[in-house]
Amino acid sequence: MIRILNTFCVALVGLSILALYHVSEQTRVARFELAGVNRQISREHATISVLETEWERVAGPARIQELAANHLGLSGAPAVQMSSFETLPRRGDDGAPLTNNPIAQANAQAPTNPVPTARRGL
Amino acid sequence: MIERPTIYQRRMVIGAVISAAAFALVGARLIDVTLFKPNVAGGDQIGRPAMARADMVDRNGELLARDLPVADLYARPHTLDDKMQAARELAAATGADYSRLLEGFNNTKHPYVLVARRLTPDAQDRVMHLGLPGLEFEPSAKRFYPNGRGTAQLLGVTDPDGKGVSGLEQGLDARLREVDATATVQLSVDMRVQYILASEVEASRQMFHAKKAGGVVMDVRTGEVLAMVSLPDFDPNFRQITADDSDHNIMAADRYELGSVFKVLTFAMAMEDHTTRPDEVFAIGNGYKIGKYTIHEAEHMPAVLTARDVLAHSSNIGTAQIAMRSGPVRQAAFLRSLGLLGSLRSELPEFARPLYPTHWGTIETATIGFGHGIAVEPLAYISAAASVVNGGRRIIPTFLKTDVDRRGAQVIKPETSAEMRELLRYVVTNGTGRKADIAGYDVGGKTGSAEKPGPHGGYQSHVLVTSFFAAFPIEAPRYIVFVLLDEPHGTKETGGLALAGLTAAPLAGRVISRIAPLLGVPQKPVTVARENT
Repeated sequence: MIRILNTFCVALVGLSILALYHVSEQTRVARFELAGVNRQISREHATISVLETEWERVAGPARIQELAANHLGLSGAPAVQMSSFETLPRRGDDGAPLTNNPIAQANAQAPTNPVPTARRGL
Repeated sequence: MIERPTIYQRRMVIGAVISAAAFALVGARLIDVTLFKPNVAGGDQIGRPAMARADMVDRNGELLARDLPVADLYARPHTLDDKMQAARELAAATGADYSRLLEGFNNTKHPYVLVARRLTPDAQDRVMHLGLPGLEFEPSAKRFYPNGRGTAQLLGVTDPDGKGVSGLEQGLDARLREVDATATVQLSVDMRVQYILASEVEASRQMFHAKKAGGVVMDVRTGEVLAMVSLPDFDPNFRQITADDSDHNIMAADRYELGSVFKVLTFAMAMEDHTTRPDEVFAIGNGYKIGKYTIHEAEHMPAVLTARDVLAHSSNIGTAQIAMRSGPVRQAAFLRSLGLLGSLRSELPEFARPLYPTHWGTIETATIGFGHGIAVEPLAYISAAASVVNGGRRIIPTFLKTDVDRRGAQVIKPETSAEMRELLRYVVTNGTGRKADIAGYDVGGKTGSAEKPGPHGGYQSHVLVTSFFAAFPIEAPRYIVFVLLDEPHGTKETGGLALAGLTAAPLAGRVISRIAPLLGVPQKPVTVARENT
């Protein structure tokens, strides 16, 4: 009985050595691959970071305004050309606004031409 | 009788126990590394360069400042075969000084030589293509500001070691360094408002050939600064200050005698103390004598004015009389309660202590009433003036985004604040601030044209600092705009005059007309003017 047990233990030790070597080797390979993937992720993060910053630079308000003025002929719209929901008229002839809040008197006359806006490069 | 185990049997049992213990140890370790330590490779630190600072973003999440990955390049000279050629090639690839490199390579005392700092990925590629031995890249970071000059004075810059040395980079240095690698620091600044303010202030500075100019937009309830501009500025991405540039933030680090915008505070004090009424009549005349001094008006004034018109037409004589009714002790206490006699501390490291007279007598009370004899930093004045219109509660500016109402102690009654809002609206509709009256929005405000002190004492009569303080919508102000022009010059359109009503007031009006729709401020109905046919 003892002899069988001994043989079994020796076999188990041998198998364990082989299994541990296998796991160790797999771990080494996996670690190597993980380092590669981490480096790749790091590079991708760096690239994304640079691209986000570049996007922020090229999509900044200064550049958009310059492009809109030069290529689309757009200029700053006067504030009075923008309306709010509350000032929309009701359907019907009376033309009353949608809300029952009293409308204050007009405070100024809107210019007929857009207010010129200055450009400034970054 | 039980047979005792032999020596061999005992040894085998001991061996089995040791083997079992070894297996148990290996098993425990396997459980530990697989279940409890999944990230032994250090995946948390991926993608962040060394010495990284957190990003700064505006209130809408737009990027304002970020560390970009770069690398410092070192060389080990003893591995280089031809030091002269290596120095020449590295100088060409990195922009480093050839003679410095050659000297470093020939110096045997140091095993490493710093070739260049903060190399971009392009430059790193050029170096790699040289195929030189003994080169090492040390990961580093370079702070980049996508909006360049647009936020230069406000954000400030970092030194080569990544430490903030000016602006919010310095003021928030600890926070920018300590935050989690993926976190950002969100500022109160709105990049859209910042751009509009910067472009309009620059346009006015050029139009009136002003030496310096600046502006601030602030939320009067939360104290959030939505925009701050100081000109001339500089490019924070190229750390070279040219002759026309300046890294000095005049809105926080300079102090000015702001002139008539101070009348807002004098009137708030008088209304709070009931020492005058808006319809009370004051004799103005051609000069007002106080002891050996005579106070004059900047412009011709009627013989009499109501208190309302004293503010609207910016009468020095009328305001001096109103200020003297409160007296020096009350005036000093009132200004102190608004924070104008101390240093204003915000997240910005720059600040300027106020200058005010040590002997605060009758004449000082009169002149301080209309903004002379006391010099404060513009941001401190903005903080004080915001308290006048926001319901009368003290508000300290902040550069960090917040959603809470940060108004503090009550410094004037809400009724006084409401009365002041009416007066400020009257200044814009009937007084010196007419050019700030814009379509669609009720603006209230006050002009200020102050003569600058001369280098040898006294004031220079034609060297002005003009400013305009505006609040909108004036019925229940949410935002204030303050603009300042340092030494503006009159133009043909202004009849050669450089007073605030002709220079700063229209500037503030243009800024408000552009930012109010962006900020969602409700519009008033407007009558459209017809063109002449």
